[in-house]
Amino acid sequence: MKIGDLASPEYKSVLDRAEDRIEETILFGAVTGQSDKDEVEIPSFPIAVMMVATIGVSFLKRRYALAEARRASNLLRNEREDKITLIANNFNWKIDSVEDPTNSLTYDFTLHYTDFLRNATGFHDKKWKLVNKRMSNGEVCLTKNDVVRLLEEEIRRYIEGKLDTDVGSLPETLMNRVNRLKRLLREKRGEARPLEPSKEVLINAFPPCIRELHGTITSGRNISHIGRFTLTSFLINIGMATEDVVNLFRSLPDFNERLTRYQVEHIAGGRGSRTKYVPPRCDTLRTHGVCPSMDDVCRKVYRPLAYYRRKLRVAQRSTSEEET
Amino acid sequence: MRQPTGGMHILLSPLRFVRSRFAEYYQKHPSAIQPPSAIERREFGFVLFKEKIMARHKSFKNAESLRSFLKAVVPLDVYYSSARYEKPEEKMEDKGRTGTDLIFDIDADHIPTPCRKDHDRWICSSCGAIGKGATPGKCSSCGEQKFQEETWFCEICLDSAKTETMKLIDFLMRDLGFSSEEIEVSFSGHRGYHICVESEEVQTLDQMARREIVEYILGIGLETEFHGLGERSEERSRILFGPGLDGSGWRGRIARGVYELLLSATPEELQQIGLRKKVASNLTEHRELLLESWKGKGPWGVTKDVGFESWKKIARHGAEKQSAKIDTVVTTDIHRLIRLSNTLHGKTGLRKIEVPITGIEQFDPLERAVAFKEGSATVVVSYAPQFKLGNGTYGPYQGETIELPMAAALLLLCKGRAKMVE
Repeated sequence: MKIGDLASPEYKSVLDRAEDRIEETILFGAVTGQSDKDEVEIPSFPIAVMMVATIGVSFLKRRYALAEARRASNLLRNEREDKITLIANNFNWKIDSVEDPTNSLTYDFTLHYTDFLRNATGFHDKKWKLVNKRMSNGEVCLTKNDVVRLLEEEIRRYIEGKLDTDVGSLPETLMNRVNRLKRLLREKRGEARPLEPSKEVLINAFPPCIRELHGTITSGRNISHIGRFTLTSFLINIGMATEDVVNLFRSLPDFNERLTRYQVEHIAGGRGSRTKYVPPRCDTLRTHGVCPSMDDVCRKVYRPLAYYRRKLRVAQRSTSEEET
Repeated sequence: MRQPTGGMHILLSPLRFVRSRFAEYYQKHPSAIQPPSAIERREFGFVLFKEKIMARHKSFKNAESLRSFLKAVVPLDVYYSSARYEKPEEKMEDKGRTGTDLIFDIDADHIPTPCRKDHDRWICSSCGAIGKGATPGKCSSCGEQKFQEETWFCEICLDSAKTETMKLIDFLMRDLGFSSEEIEVSFSGHRGYHICVESEEVQTLDQMARREIVEYILGIGLETEFHGLGERSEERSRILFGPGLDGSGWRGRIARGVYELLLSATPEELQQIGLRKKVASNLTEHRELLLESWKGKGPWGVTKDVGFESWKKIARHGAEKQSAKIDTVVTTDIHRLIRLSNTLHGKTGLRKIEVPITGIEQFDPLERAVAFKEGSATVVVSYAPQFKLGNGTYGPYQGETIELPMAAALLLLCKGRAKMVE
């Protein structure tokens, strides 16, 4: 099949299904349903990938990769162990399903720790920490559900990689569909555009760590748990309104308004223990890899907040000097 | 402008003396310097005698060019990168990292040992008060918080570092599955041990993955419920269960930790880990029964008065002793520079040397790391506790002039505890 052929009417149902996949992703963050014909369903996926790559908006790329990966894992959950092993082997995983004739074991697979870590380090739940897994001889013991979840992550990154390739120009019929989806995306995102931070927040005075976290979030990419905590507590402490902080997270592919609001309010001291949190010390951030690199001001302070206050003082002094 | 070097009685600067001994070493033993694997892709760094700053971003094509550099420049310390780069001499962002060895550092400094009070002391920078042992938060006489620290290292410190090293080797072999041939262990030449794995599988581990390995080995975030400790209801009663001594990974470690704890703990010690008085005395009263229980399903639920929450505390505390006290920053830093084997340590004049895994228990670092076995030097020692080096024991010294074997004299000079008289 050539790209040029896609313009012909016989492919219309394939293109329809491809467009469905993307439209559903834009509107609901998921790909569901299925064409009852394999010859439609199967080619519609690579075509949708091509279209998303052409749309080129990184928010959509991440959201689409996530939606397709979730769809794949939902299908895999009902598959037998040998099918799962087969797919894992496609990604060069060192995996074995465990023979358990007496049904006495609490796990179904063993997976090499390098394959485990490549996919699990982004997960926040403590059950995904290596220290909470049974490991022997480099092999981590996992349930079928664990393996499917890890495969979802592998598939998500694989699709994200595909979406970043250059697809060249598409025939006009496809471009019409692409443009329609672009408009839909703009409308949908218009409702949820992150607000500019309130005036008194001076982005130029952010320390390098916060600048990087802030940049990552505003471009819609996920950050680690400690990264979220650091950014949120920092912004709250320099006086940003809770509402504005919640809006910052809105562009994330897995944004959940209720949960985010709860977490932000908790850090702001409005919930639970009523403690207002401050960002971790610089050395803690370094240990956890949040510190990208230090500049001259960093060397004089021990906390991200001290950095901000210092820069703010300098900025205020220079403006008051101009006024007098 | 340079100061004229006049006068009849020049005190020889210790630095010049140390440098000429170091020069002698690199002249006499060039072949002892074995380069790291893939030498041409490693970044090298050196602390120079003159400026005492790190000169970085050097690289060498082969062992020979590295050896002639060491002979010509005579650095105080020699380091190479755990990372491999396409262009090791470029700026950090242009080097093009292709992989990083998995390295661990175990430093006696991070392990609280009882010998500290015998050989470490602090001097308050504002009032001059002197105290022994670990440096306090603030000075007991004037309340200031700035101190000059004088630390030392002895067999007890180095033994505790060795114990942690052996625990780490157990993690690396039994849990992570490395063979003993893949693990290189060295004495650093000062206070601890370096452990390096170069296998292909570790090269591409990112910082997050390395942090997970670090936390696995330190037991950070460990929840005993994920390792088989739990309770269930059965016919109106609660049944407790837990891991067995031969369990794999942390399961066996938790069980062995609990075994060790209950083997010897006093009721007071058990109360210190947060157990109620009644629970603590119950555990020590039933010690025999509890030890016997390991032949079956373990001590969990053997005595009725010890509940699930108490067992969780016992398990957590037992696990703590099973972890290996590695430095978290060294392992997670994928651009780390580490000391090169068989080069001299600028703070001691000792060599960094490889330790055979099979003979590690008998290995005596303070004998094997001695680089200078001949000659002697007369030095004025300001203060030094008693110490062992090579086959001899020296000190304690306080403001005295003494002739010492070369290695002992160099150690005091390098640690800034002595000056030369000549």
